[in-house]
Amino acid sequence: MRTVIKSNRISKNYKGFQAVKDVSLNICEGEIYGFIGLNGSGKTTTIRMLLGMIKPTEGTCYIKGKKITSTNHRIWRSVGHIVETPPCYPELTVLENLTIFRRIRLISDPDIVPKVMEQLHLTRYAQKKAGTLSLGNAQRLGIAKALLHSPEILILDEPMNGLDPSGIVEIRKLLQDLAFNRGVTILMSSHLLSEVAKIATKIGIIHNGRLIQEIESIKLSDLLNQQLVIDTRNNQSAISQLTTAGYISKINNKGLIETTDRRAIQDPDKISRLLVYKGFPPTKLTVKEENLESHFLNIIERGGETLQ
Amino acid sequence: MKYFLATLHTEGLKIIKSKVIWIIAAAFSIAPLMAGFFMFVLKDPALAESAGLVGAQAQVAGEANWQSYLDLHAQMIGVGGIFVFGFVTSWIFGREYVDNTVKDLLTLPYSRAVIVTSKFLASFMTNIVLSAYIVALGFFIGWIVGLPQWSSAIVMQNLYVILIVTMLTIVLSTPVAFFASYSRGYLAPVGFVIITLIFSQILTAVGHGEYFPWAVPALYSGLTGETIISWSSLIIIGITSLLGFLSTLYWWLFADQH
Repeated sequence: MRTVIKSNRISKNYKGFQAVKDVSLNICEGEIYGFIGLNGSGKTTTIRMLLGMIKPTEGTCYIKGKKITSTNHRIWRSVGHIVETPPCYPELTVLENLTIFRRIRLISDPDIVPKVMEQLHLTRYAQKKAGTLSLGNAQRLGIAKALLHSPEILILDEPMNGLDPSGIVEIRKLLQDLAFNRGVTILMSSHLLSEVAKIATKIGIIHNGRLIQEIESIKLSDLLNQQLVIDTRNNQSAISQLTTAGYISKINNKGLIETTDRRAIQDPDKISRLLVYKGFPPTKLTVKEENLESHFLNIIERGGETLQ
Repeated sequence: MKYFLATLHTEGLKIIKSKVIWIIAAAFSIAPLMAGFFMFVLKDPALAESAGLVGAQAQVAGEANWQSYLDLHAQMIGVGGIFVFGFVTSWIFGREYVDNTVKDLLTLPYSRAVIVTSKFLASFMTNIVLSAYIVALGFFIGWIVGLPQWSSAIVMQNLYVILIVTMLTIVLSTPVAFFASYSRGYLAPVGFVIITLIFSQILTAVGHGEYFPWAVPALYSGLTGETIISWSSLIIIGITSLLGFLSTLYWWLFADQH
């Protein structure tokens, strides 16, 4: 598939502080790329560089193969975006904000505004001043502006910010529809890791300005650690029986037996039979899978050493 | 051209739809009201005497006639315009940073120079309209007060002076746009305007006003009794205005926009 968003070893330095270091991204057409990282990890700086708002100290960014510079403005024809808080003119209504944006985007079809408002459930707020909108509705307005010109590429910094649970589901469905049915390429950063895990086709983890891991979502489950958690009436004796049988296990901080042995995870019945046979029948036997959040936190706790 | 017209149109919409411009117009209305009040006091010396301090200040305006009254308008635009037109310019540029909408403008599919130029033109037109409104309100108040010695020659001569003062004052607001963009808000540009006003007063008082661009419109308005402008003053104003425009353009085109 064609690469539509590309950064080639971009870095950004600010007076002795390196906000982004050697970040290379290759985002293909129709992909939803989830960009995750702690506050100050370099997500927004990278996004701003991709949008030509700030210049990389080193490296180059490309949109649809064209180099991003402050004078190469035609590339923004196909890009919609939200960076941090969604911008609006607070003293103008939702309708006026969108109308102004339609005009400066040179969109001739006036019907696009009501259509996008309908799509984002903003119709009943059309005459409301944008400055009085809730954070969630302001976010919807930001997304509406990003979608107004039917972009091929969406670059969204925290698009779910401030949305209620139903709003999150709604935006997730909308983004999935845009990517999977209309081929829109989406780069989104988010603190909601469970949402990123649900929506993204590829995930990039950025820490201390470095892109430390990229995960294809279809390979995510292979990468996430699994554990078999066992409870019996006598865990100390049970663990020695398991060790004798060759299963490396430990007692966790809750007093339960925990093993990451692949054979045990793949065949928990065998462990169950063994413990019953030895006289320690399990009262609990669960395969626990690490989620993106715990995986992310594990990487960060390990100091974010580079994993590709 | 279609990009320029589109951005100019939206700038116009943003200005008209905002409360700020109406508040500025209301605040600027104080100028002709004050001038009218001075004339009213001057027309009746007994009232001027009984008014005490107000009466003494009103004497500065000279006699109660159309010539003095229109002179006063030119002087108010020359001094007050530096602040009001500067504030309008700082608002037109600074609001994009305060409201965060600059991010939308930076990623439009045409040059940022189009946006900057249309903002300057919108600011220029707004300030012209504000000035015209002040003059129109001034004429109305002058008619209510019943000022004597109306003549079309006096009116034409004074309208010409007011127009020149307005233009000089407006073109001097381009550096304000740079400070609004550079500081991403209103505070620094308004501070800059206040400093230029203070320096205008000081340099005019010591006789060097003609070399300080922001003092020149007030000098031309007849604040010191003369309405002349030297070529050196015009060149200084031209260079200041051009520098303000180019630095703003450079900032929007090439500086990192956080």
